Amino acid sequence: MEIIVEEINRGEKLLSRHKFLTDKVTIGRGYSNDIILADPHVCSEHLSLSFTEGNWLVTDKSTINGSFLANGKQNADQHIVHSGDTIRLGKSYIRLILADHPVEDTMPFSPFESIITLMRNPLVLAINILLFSAVAGMMFYLNQPKEVNFTQFVVRAVSVTLMFSLWPILISLISHFNKHEARILTQLAISFALFNLMWVSDVFESIVAFNMSSNWSIASLITLLPIVLAFSLIWLNCYIGFNMSARRRNIIAFSMTALLFGGSYILELSKKPEFTARPNYDATIMTPTFKFSASSSVDKFISDSGKLFAKVEKSAKEKN
Amino acid sequence: MKVVITLTLLLVSFISRSAEQAEQIFHQLAPSLYQIRLIDKASGEKSSIGSGFQITEDGLIATNYHVISGFAQHPAKYRLEYLDNKGNKAPLELKSVDVINDLALVQRTVTEKMPYFDIAKNNPIKGEEIYSLGNPHDLGMIVVPGTYNGLKIESFHDRIHFTGSINPGMSGGPVVNHLAQVVGVNVATSGNQIGFLVPHEKLLTLFNNYQRKPPSSIDMQMSEQLVGSQKKLISTMLSTPWQQKALGNAIIPTIDVPYIRCWGESNADKADAIALLAVANCALEENIYITGGFFTGSVDMEFKYMKSKKLSDLKFYHIYQQHILRAGPGNKAGKDDVTEYQCHHDLVKPNTGNMDDKAILCTRAYKKFPKLFDVLFIAASIDKGDQALISHFTLSGVTQESALAFTQKFLESVSWK
Repeated sequence: MEIIVEEINRGEKLLSRHKFLTDKVTIGRGYSNDIILADPHVCSEHLSLSFTEGNWLVTDKSTINGSFLANGKQNADQHIVHSGDTIRLGKSYIRLILADHPVEDTMPFSPFESIITLMRNPLVLAINILLFSAVAGMMFYLNQPKEVNFTQFVVRAVSVTLMFSLWPILISLISHFNKHEARILTQLAISFALFNLMWVSDVFESIVAFNMSSNWSIASLITLLPIVLAFSLIWLNCYIGFNMSARRRNIIAFSMTALLFGGSYILELSKKPEFTARPNYDATIMTPTFKFSASSSVDKFISDSGKLFAKVEKSAKEKN
Repeated sequence: MKVVITLTLLLVSFISRSAEQAEQIFHQLAPSLYQIRLIDKASGEKSSIGSGFQITEDGLIATNYHVISGFAQHPAKYRLEYLDNKGNKAPLELKSVDVINDLALVQRTVTEKMPYFDIAKNNPIKGEEIYSLGNPHDLGMIVVPGTYNGLKIESFHDRIHFTGSINPGMSGGPVVNHLAQVVGVNVATSGNQIGFLVPHEKLLTLFNNYQRKPPSSIDMQMSEQLVGSQKKLISTMLSTPWQQKALGNAIIPTIDVPYIRCWGESNADKADAIALLAVANCALEENIYITGGFFTGSVDMEFKYMKSKKLSDLKFYHIYQQHILRAGPGNKAGKDDVTEYQCHHDLVKPNTGNMDDKAILCTRAYKKFPKLFDVLFIAASIDKGDQALISHFTLSGVTQESALAFTQKFLESVSWK
């Protein structure tokens, strides 16, 4: 009769899987066993599974540390196996599965798969990383009050790129340690593609802030863009690096994004003084090339500004 | 030799005559001179001191507003008292103020009619010797002889220019002519024998108004005075023709009134600078004191012209943006005085001009004085890749109407050549 024995770790992650077509399987530390465990808390002759009267029966061979069902205290000796049962012997775990055990539905390739494949293309990956470096160097050039020479530009571009590549490398390492495939190039590809999208969203945000007056309140919605991008990045990192349920992936991506943005928001809030004498205004200006909207007339500006006075007057009354 | 001796003798006699006169004046008026003290109720100690002088026989005393401002703004925290020439102390009551001219009237109780200072009917003549009385640094009442030098020209609020030392603590003390009539009130100094006095007419007006109808509340009185003063200031500035002046490739306005003074600076001497920078700054160099942490009545305008030298437009604009990021208020004010700023921004192009601007206007309201605001405005040109003009002003303690009228005229007065 068939039985499948899976060695799993404490987190139910599969370590190895054995299929037997016999009626008796022995498990233990001794080399005579069918499944040889390295766990020092397991006895040399620890457990046997035997097929009798249409059922698989577990027999504990009077071991020192015993055999127990799942994580509980229930002794596994003389237990009749149901497909999917987990047994703890020493500090090791095995899962017993019968051949008719149902399997989950086939997971179709998600639409992201094609994007991931495209990004993973070596040429696309190289372009993305180069683009990122160029923008990083450009930002450095713009922020320096003095002229910048080519060496400084390159050094800065490369160092920022290396710094940002730490993130995908870290994710790959974590998934490697969790017995998943590292897929380091794919992680790099996806991360840099999203980093570049973040630059794009920055520029887009500036263009909107520059062109729109403060009457256009939807402008504040644009600030959600980087949050959405950060969520997507973490979601894709999880998707590539770990086999987890969609629900779990969503929860992880959501909570990490919340931690990232919520944390910095709370930090900012805690630093905010009770009263600031300086005005807080939007001073975004861009070169004439980026001006897309028509200018308002002076009259319009004056009448829009007039509304501010009622607003501050109201807050003066509130606080008195 | 004889001539020299005679001259020396003459000089000595002149000096001694002046000293004699000063002594006589002081002696005669000493009982009507006071030290005015602001006492912190919690600690029981004086928190600031000034001088004051009696102007009626029934105990009305004139002093500076800034001497008693702590009490006017926080009556629960402080009380007022006087110290007379015999060392007697007694409480005072605040009756009326003129915050614009820094004057206040306080009242002591009197049991019998007392000597008092007469207020002069006429202005002194330029060069006339006048005598400032007061109690500098709590050292005791003194007389400082000095010279009347007419009204300060570059001043919106009339001030007498007095040549003679006025020191802290003398604020609120009278300045008298040789007939012992009050011609001014000590108010400020800019060091080295340059002192400023409030002209006696201002005191006379305050006194007459008080006698006609005492104010119902000091806050309301101050509010009315502030609104009136800003209206006079802004409407004078708006009705004066604004002159055009070149700053780099731009045209900026200058307001041709003596009390707005301008200064300039540029980096034209720095060959290695990556952009040419020229700044013109025009300001009303006086303001109105409300409390130690709250000033108002200031006007400040700044124009900054920038021209890129061999920079890409992108980098030039990046540097240019740094110059408009951190504009601050033109006057000092705290949490109890004003709200936080609220701002509006838009792209603006005047019909009359040829300059496209990003314009930002911010305003905050006064908490104690309704209808008064501080306003801050920045316009940054955005139509030339390699040149920029920042035009910026701050106004403090103005009404909405004044602020917006000024903004409109300001925006329309800036253009490219």
